[in-house]
Amino acid sequence: MGDVKIDIKNVSHTYDVEVLNNISLLLENYESVAIIGVSGSGKSTLLRIMSGLEKPTAGDVMINDMNVNDEGYKKHIGFVFQSHNLFPHLTLKRNISLILEKTRGYEKEQAEKTAEKYLSLLHLEDQMNKLPKHVSGGQAQRASIARALSINPNIVFLDEPTASLDPILSYEVLKAVEDLKGLGKSFIFVTHVMSFVRDFADYVIFMDKGEIIEQGTPDILDHPTHDALKAFMMKVR
Amino acid sequence: MSKKLSYGAALLTIAAFIVFVVLRQTSRFNISAFSDYGYLIGLGIRNTIIVSLIALLGSLVMGFVFYLLSISKMKYFVSLVDVFTEIIYGTPLLVLIIVMAFLIGPAFGSFNRNVLGVIALIVYMTPYMKNVYVSAFSSISRDQYMAMDLFGFTPYQRYRYIIIPQVIRILMPPMMNNFSLIIKGSALLNVLSLTEMYYAIRIAQSQTFAFVEGYILLWGLYLLITIPLSQLTKWVERKWAM
Repeated sequence: MGDVKIDIKNVSHTYDVEVLNNISLLLENYESVAIIGVSGSGKSTLLRIMSGLEKPTAGDVMINDMNVNDEGYKKHIGFVFQSHNLFPHLTLKRNISLILEKTRGYEKEQAEKTAEKYLSLLHLEDQMNKLPKHVSGGQAQRASIARALSINPNIVFLDEPTASLDPILSYEVLKAVEDLKGLGKSFIFVTHVMSFVRDFADYVIFMDKGEIIEQGTPDILDHPTHDALKAFMMKVR
Repeated sequence: MSKKLSYGAALLTIAAFIVFVVLRQTSRFNISAFSDYGYLIGLGIRNTIIVSLIALLGSLVMGFVFYLLSISKMKYFVSLVDVFTEIIYGTPLLVLIIVMAFLIGPAFGSFNRNVLGVIALIVYMTPYMKNVYVSAFSSISRDQYMAMDLFGFTPYQRYRYIIIPQVIRILMPPMMNNFSLIIKGSALLNVLSLTEMYYAIRIAQSQTFAFVEGYILLWGLYLLITIPLSQLTKWVERKWAM
């Protein structure tokens, strides 16, 4: 099982305005956690803080009993960005093998084999030697998921992985993610696609104006108690 | 039409134009008058190349410094770069060379006109080189830096494998344009009696009285330097493309 333990204590974050307002959260025994909310609710920021990509202005975050700002933490996580964020000058395969070779100490051949394995897992056998600009948005995003998985992380973070894709490509990407459920990884993700939350998440966190307003199993989507979540569900359906 | 064929046709067009212009001449045209000045002209070519290379390196370094200042958190530096850039944009290179050699240099106790001339060229090119860096580095998104950070690339690896391979392709064409500007601009250093190509040709002209021929020769010499250079750029771009 890929259960994740999340322990967030009094996290606040400010850019120019306050984005997160004193958030605390303790979560165990869930494999796939969704964060939802309107744009600007702070959900992407919370995700980036949990992944250690951004440091909160105040507070502490422990994931699986590791402080996210610890040196070694990032070695254990995969992150999928909103737009695929592959290195544009490298082929899909090289995007993965370069990382394995240079930062994980793989031999060249082993790195290439591993890259091929994960790209195949995401059904990209035919696209491996193409540059990101020569494949579709959905294929690039799947390659970026393969890249995130290739370093064998315990947790995979996905930051609105389908935000820049049309519905058909979105479906293709989300379907691929659902197929990964058996891998024994845990997933923490931000998305606007409620059908995906229902199918894939076993815990849902609803955020509004920098705070966690409501949380629970995906049932809360059908039976919201808080007005903000009711209003949100009316809009996204 | 294939690429080779179309280039061949283009070259033929230019050649035909040249033949036409040459045939239409009524006065004598004698470029061989310069054959006695081979050594002088060779010296000029050498100096033009040396001066241009120094100015290229100097302006690449200064341009990078100015780029760093322009993204500095200190508002003063940003303003300084802006004001400097505006002044240089409006300044003819010839004027800058004279001011540098006869006013600014002496003010700092330097009277070496060759050196001051090259410094003027560097100063003149600095804002243009700064712009090259601005456009090149802005092509790497914040998200890419985040990804490099996430996967744990060392600073050396970031530059070697991610940043430079991307930046070089964007940087090369405008940088080589600037290098062409430098090479052609270096001709103005003749006003300081620096023996670059134009100065060498001028001396030869004054003794052979082959005025127009001198300019034709000069034109040919500049093309001889700049065309291989631009081909080299294209080669480097291709080589670094992956």
